[in-house]
Amino acid sequence: MGEVMIPFLLRAIVAIFIISINAAITGTFTVFRNVSFLVAGTAHAALAGAALALILESLGFHVPVLLGGVLFAIFAAISAGYASGRGKVGRREDTNTAIAISFALSMSLAVLFISMVREYAARVWGLLIGDLFLLSYSDLAIMFITTLLVIAITALFYRAFLYLSFDAEAAIASGVKVGLYDYLLLSTIALSVVAIMGGVGAILVFAMFVAPAAIAKRFAKSISRVFLLSFLISFSSGIAGIALSFYLPFSPGAMAAVMVSSTYFVSVFVKK
Amino acid sequence: MEALMEAVVIKDLCCTYDGFVAIDRVNMIVNKGEFVAIMGPNGGGKTTLLRAIAGMIKPQRGYVKVKGEIGYMPQKEHVNFEIPIKVREVVEMGIMSKKKKFSLFSKLSREEKELVNNALKAVDMLKFVERNFTELSGGQQQRVLLARAIATKPDILLLDEPFNGVDLPTQEKIIKLLDNLASEGVSVITVVHNVSPLIHHVSRIALLNRELIAYGKPEEVLTPENTAKTYGIPIPTTVCKEGYIHPLFGDIHG
Ligand SMILES: Nc1ncnc2c1ncn2[C@@H]1O[C@H](COP(=O)(O)OP(=O)(O)OP(=O)(O)O)[C@@H](O)[C@H]1O
Ligand SMILES: [Mg+2]
Repeated sequence: MGEVMIPFLLRAIVAIFIISINAAITGTFTVFRNVSFLVAGTAHAALAGAALALILESLGFHVPVLLGGVLFAIFAAISAGYASGRGKVGRREDTNTAIAISFALSMSLAVLFISMVREYAARVWGLLIGDLFLLSYSDLAIMFITTLLVIAITALFYRAFLYLSFDAEAAIASGVKVGLYDYLLLSTIALSVVAIMGGVGAILVFAMFVAPAAIAKRFAKSISRVFLLSFLISFSSGIAGIALSFYLPFSPGAMAAVMVSSTYFVSVFVKK
Repeated sequence: MEALMEAVVIKDLCCTYDGFVAIDRVNMIVNKGEFVAIMGPNGGGKTTLLRAIAGMIKPQRGYVKVKGEIGYMPQKEHVNFEIPIKVREVVEMGIMSKKKKFSLFSKLSREEKELVNNALKAVDMLKFVERNFTELSGGQQQRVLLARAIATKPDILLLDEPFNGVDLPTQEKIIKLLDNLASEGVSVITVVHNVSPLIHHVSRIALLNRELIAYGKPEEVLTPENTAKTYGIPIPTTVCKEGYIHPLFGDIHG
């Protein structure tokens, strides 16, 4: 490895660190709230949003690609939350079905929009696949700021998010505005997903978010341990992915995702 | 005798879910310090009535007037068992959600911690305070959920099937606890399927099957006509040696 590689390597490690923070916070709430599929849904909505931003750009309206992505992702999250109606009393909601439909819609829109902007499609595909080694300092800065926002929101409303995930009925009875906080939680998940998409891409974001928390939940005896363990699992797989990518011709993000997902299945066998 | 104070007044109440009428024409008064049992078939609207009293759903018609703070213990089916939450954190939920203290950094005051401990002590679960809620037995979980409901020291306590999966000695203890709360002035309203263990303690029973079939003293309410109207078949009763009427529930399945 030559000297030239070092800045790339450092940026990739910083990115993995930021991604792991998101995986810990958002991944944990995704698993607690039982909306794992939302991660994939919002990621693909973000793709559609990014493609639409590019279409608008080709028509002479400048919309930042990332903004298009964030807006679409949050819209997808909120409409899935609305369809599931968590804020409604006693609703035996099936959020995942609502998410699946919004996922299908955003996938179709993404393909549609991308087909309209063939010449820029590479930029959208970048979001689909992501590359840890291609992140610029400004990419990292955006990831970092978005992550700070995600941390701030979850810290500020931590108990509301926990209570509505644990027992929405009791939370409503105590006067918690469950519907409102549920939208906030789902939007925060969407924001977090878009934040890390540049690093690992829309496809792998799912593995990086859901698998670590799902593994951690199996072993952790407390909520704080779920956060900590998810972080460690995500971070170590990310670092291992980067290390392996020096020896094998594979993308580090993909290696990391393969590792966390297979760790999940190993953990299922280890602890039945 | 001191004057009776009305804690809950329900007038011509009708509640619907997306147009579906769950309860209709319910009139009911629960006084301060009363211990009331609500009975009825599955889908009879018992949970709906509690939700209406708790102000969680808006009446389609009529009204519910409530005097005082409410503590609500929902049916356990609503709980998400995927979260490794501690017993202490479950009970804190009652206090912190009422106070709208949601931040990770908002800690409980000394008095609030005391409330948590006292509530757990009352249901005999204090020794489990640092244990994982999801790893407790079903009956122990019920007791923790009860602790959460009483932790805020409510004036009106609403319980939805609190005895499901609870062993008989524990059931006895909980009934005694509820009885004590009632004598301290708390209005206790509980949904039960088997009223027999409570019959010596409750002041009134409500039979609910979409409409309020009967509401009054156990011996007035538990007539064959009323139980037939409520459940579709009359439930035979017996009178115990203390002179209380007991429904013989086992027989409806026989
Ligand atoms: N959130 C809801 N949305 C739509 N319908 C509902 C909802 N909750 C209850 N219902 C309907 O209202 C009726 C009364 O339900 P409720 O839960 O109040 O009955 P219950 O007496 O508590 O029954 P159980 O003994 O099974 O707990 C039922 O027909 C039920 O299907
Ligand atoms: Mg019910």
